[in-house]
Amino acid sequence: MKRVSNVTVRKRLILALSVGLVVFLVMIIRLGVVQLVMGDEISTRAENSWSRDIPFEAKRGEILDRNGIALATNVSAPSVLVVPRQISDPANVATQLAEVLRMDRQRAYELVTKNEHIVRINPEGRKMSNELANEVRELRLDGVFIAEDNRRHYPFGQYLSHVLGFAGIDNQGLTGLELYYDEKLSGEKGYVSFYSTARGTRMPGLADEYTAPVDGQHLKLTIDSKVQTIIERELDNAEATYNPDGAIAIAMDPNTGEILGMSSRPDYDPEQFRKVPPEIYNQNKPVWSQYEPGSTFKIITLAAALEEGIVDLDNDSFHDPGYIEVSGHRLRCWKKGGHGSQTYLEVVQNSCNPGFVALGEELGKETLFDYIHSFGFGQKTGIDLQGEGTGILFNLDAVGPLELATTSFGQGVSVTPIQQVAAVAAAINGGRLYQPYLAKEWIDSSSGEVVTRTTPTLKQEVISEETSAEIRRALEHVVAKGSGRNAYVDGYRVGGKTGTAQKAQDGRYLENNHIVSFIGFAPADDPQIVIYVAVDNPKDTIQFGGTVAAPIVGNIMEDSLRALGVERRGGQIEKERMWNDEPVIEVPDLEGLTIREINQAYYELKLDVSGEGKEVLLQSPEPGVRVKAGSTIRIYMGDKPEEEQ
Amino acid sequence: MPKVKSTPDILLIAATVCLLTIGLIMVYSASAVWADHNFNDSFFFLKRQLFFAGLGLVAMLFIMNIDYWTWRSMTKVLIFVCFILLIIVLIPGVGLVRGGARSWLGVGAFSIQPSEFMKIAMIFFLAKYLSEKHKYVTTLKRGLFPTLGLVLLAFALIMLQPDLGTGMVMVLTSVVMIFIAGARIKHFMFMAVLGIVGLVGLIISAPYRLRRITSFLDPWEDPLGTGFQIIQSLYAIGPGGFLGLGLGSSRQKYFYLPEPQTDFIFAILSEELGFIGGAFVLVCFAILLWRGLRIALYAPDLYGCMLATGIIGMIAIQVMINIGVVIGLMPVTGITLPLLSYGGSSLTLMLSSIGVLLNISRHMR
Repeated sequence: MKRVSNVTVRKRLILALSVGLVVFLVMIIRLGVVQLVMGDEISTRAENSWSRDIPFEAKRGEILDRNGIALATNVSAPSVLVVPRQISDPANVATQLAEVLRMDRQRAYELVTKNEHIVRINPEGRKMSNELANEVRELRLDGVFIAEDNRRHYPFGQYLSHVLGFAGIDNQGLTGLELYYDEKLSGEKGYVSFYSTARGTRMPGLADEYTAPVDGQHLKLTIDSKVQTIIERELDNAEATYNPDGAIAIAMDPNTGEILGMSSRPDYDPEQFRKVPPEIYNQNKPVWSQYEPGSTFKIITLAAALEEGIVDLDNDSFHDPGYIEVSGHRLRCWKKGGHGSQTYLEVVQNSCNPGFVALGEELGKETLFDYIHSFGFGQKTGIDLQGEGTGILFNLDAVGPLELATTSFGQGVSVTPIQQVAAVAAAINGGRLYQPYLAKEWIDSSSGEVVTRTTPTLKQEVISEETSAEIRRALEHVVAKGSGRNAYVDGYRVGGKTGTAQKAQDGRYLENNHIVSFIGFAPADDPQIVIYVAVDNPKDTIQFGGTVAAPIVGNIMEDSLRALGVERRGGQIEKERMWNDEPVIEVPDLEGLTIREINQAYYELKLDVSGEGKEVLLQSPEPGVRVKAGSTIRIYMGDKPEEEQ
Repeated sequence: MPKVKSTPDILLIAATVCLLTIGLIMVYSASAVWADHNFNDSFFFLKRQLFFAGLGLVAMLFIMNIDYWTWRSMTKVLIFVCFILLIIVLIPGVGLVRGGARSWLGVGAFSIQPSEFMKIAMIFFLAKYLSEKHKYVTTLKRGLFPTLGLVLLAFALIMLQPDLGTGMVMVLTSVVMIFIAGARIKHFMFMAVLGIVGLVGLIISAPYRLRRITSFLDPWEDPLGTGFQIIQSLYAIGPGGFLGLGLGSSRQKYFYLPEPQTDFIFAILSEELGFIGGAFVLVCFAILLWRGLRIALYAPDLYGCMLATGIIGMIAIQVMINIGVVIGLMPVTGITLPLLSYGGSSLTLMLSSIGVLLNISRHMR
């Protein structure tokens, strides 16, 4: 047994002291690390744990048309906030609140006694009318507050609903432009943060921090509400007349890609969107739906053939026996017995299928499909809307003679309406394919200044200026003399093309169920607008684009061009008269004539006479204006003042 | 032994008084919000702490003048009474439950923790045994087994309450005393293995302890559960920075940190007085350790040496555990900070122990 000497004890005491002092040193270092190195990071976390935010909602930006007319705005919709810790008599408060807000008393009691700093009464006390808010305010209850809040309002109701979309209860964009541009429209929330003790009371000695909300920017659209109103009216009329499964219309400025109007049926009221099935508000058909275009697609074949120089519209001719043989199949023309011998201009006018098959065969599949791709088919146009369709084209390897033939006249391909509008705009505007768009300008909501302005996006130049001019000429003939006659507008030189597409279901074409369409533009010498209308399965009518869709385009065209301030012009191709067409005459110069002189001239016009006197001083419309026979001319009679000698 | 009385260790007294004063100020600052909320009297805890600090100081001065050999004859009675109390406190209805442990005897503020007394009594017992049976300290049969056996018996009783913190301090203090007395390193290895086995056993018997142990490594993994106290403690210390938020300006004392005047008083101190304040307190404790071990080193006999070692060892270990927890170096263990934390009987006991230490210093060679 070894006896322990005091030396061992002394050594171990000194060792213990050393170890102890090292431990204290480590603790000082660790304290320094926590306070001096990690201090900032921990402070940030700590401040987050102390601070309580009271949100201040940012105002959502308004959506305006190109002339500044509000299409989506905000209306005051106050909300009730309850601070349970400030309520001394919860039973009484709950009873009074429940009565005014028409809610269950028990639920109200649970809400006003909830162990939370701020309680919202959802949905009864959320975004209420101002009248209801005043009723609550007049109760003068401690701990019950009315907070200013906003609700999205669409002053025109169903108008433009698919494009605008709508915002939900929290002012968050759910569909349409409201969703596409949600971030810019919604702005940034602000808040007051105050520091709170763990028991929810204000911590002394720390000031509140206020972060102001940043209101969303106003969005000015390319939409012209006048054009849109005309479109909505015409689609309503079409719905009433034909009771179709659906209808769409698009109006675009062909020189920029600006969408001037866009609508579809069935539609819905954004503030009542719950009343319709989701597919109605989720599908914006002008950009979403894809179907066989039918004859409107012939414009692309025509453009390719003209650009490649394989056809001279006036001098080359084609004989149509009523069908064309393609690898053993007979592809029939829509007209029984065929169109006989015709120039290629007449082939276009008559929308003769065999004629276009011949053009397609001449082009060859590589060239034709090159043009189809460069006109933007088979890919999204990139319009600033959700849910755009891509369309379906034949895979080039799978294209045989038959596929080439049907593609030439618009069958066997699937495209979206917006693709057709963009492509036809390129065909008639000098060959430039633009990306369609809706957001024209972003405007700072407080200063009213333009923050960003969208410039047109030229995607590519597809055909030459000369080819484009030739297409305009051919399509003007279609309207003046061919299948698009019903879109003719006197003085506005409308060009266009009909389309009648069969709808396929389960790999088979449906009987008597077509999408009839018309795509038109005007004026042909300097196109200002392209309008596309498609009506899905119109009832009680011949399902033909020239019969159903062309007149709608004509109506929209005439009123829109007048609304846009486009002058009527001369030099137009005279419309080929049909037995049921009303003749158009030029208004004669009646100034200075007497009533008797007018009557002796046998004008096919009615007169609306006002004023006293012998001679006509003023007339309306002006001389030279073209009106339908039998229209009324207003004249103002008076005596010519003595001429000064 | 010649009874030559010199002046007590002035530096030790200075450090003690300094820490006691800071403690009183911080108890008030840390507890005022809770005291006002619970008792409508922001001075509630300060008043009691002042009373016990006064009592403790009187006891310290009194004991400082009692020759420490006097205690040797009372050792057996002392440890016997403490064992009895440890058993009594476990009886439901007699022992009071506070904070989930049945560890209190008495009424209100005038209640005591038998485990606190056992902690001290064990020091007296070990000092007597190790100095009298010093030649056996290197043996297992007559050195290690009897001493450790008694320590483990007391530990077992304390763990029945359960009061892990106090139990741990007692065991660690005992181990330090046996080590310094000269036990063989080989035996220590054996004890270390035993200790680890014991620790594993404790974790298996109550798995929540393992989560507590690991949570300090990444408290943010479970911020509302096991990591809660450490996070709240760091939220106090971190923003304190170099100079602190200023006396009275703590934010974490606003109900975020539970009972900020007891186990987490150092967190509030570091928040209000910054790194400067925290480091100053640590330096004071380091001075305490230095002077205490110096007294042991120059004690006139082995009994005085062991007694001084035990007392200063207990204080130092408790400080290291408490502050280690608060600054996130150790898993959470419920233990007070000597001289600073609120706590009546423990403060009085602590000052009395320092009184014994000071008496030994008066007999130094």
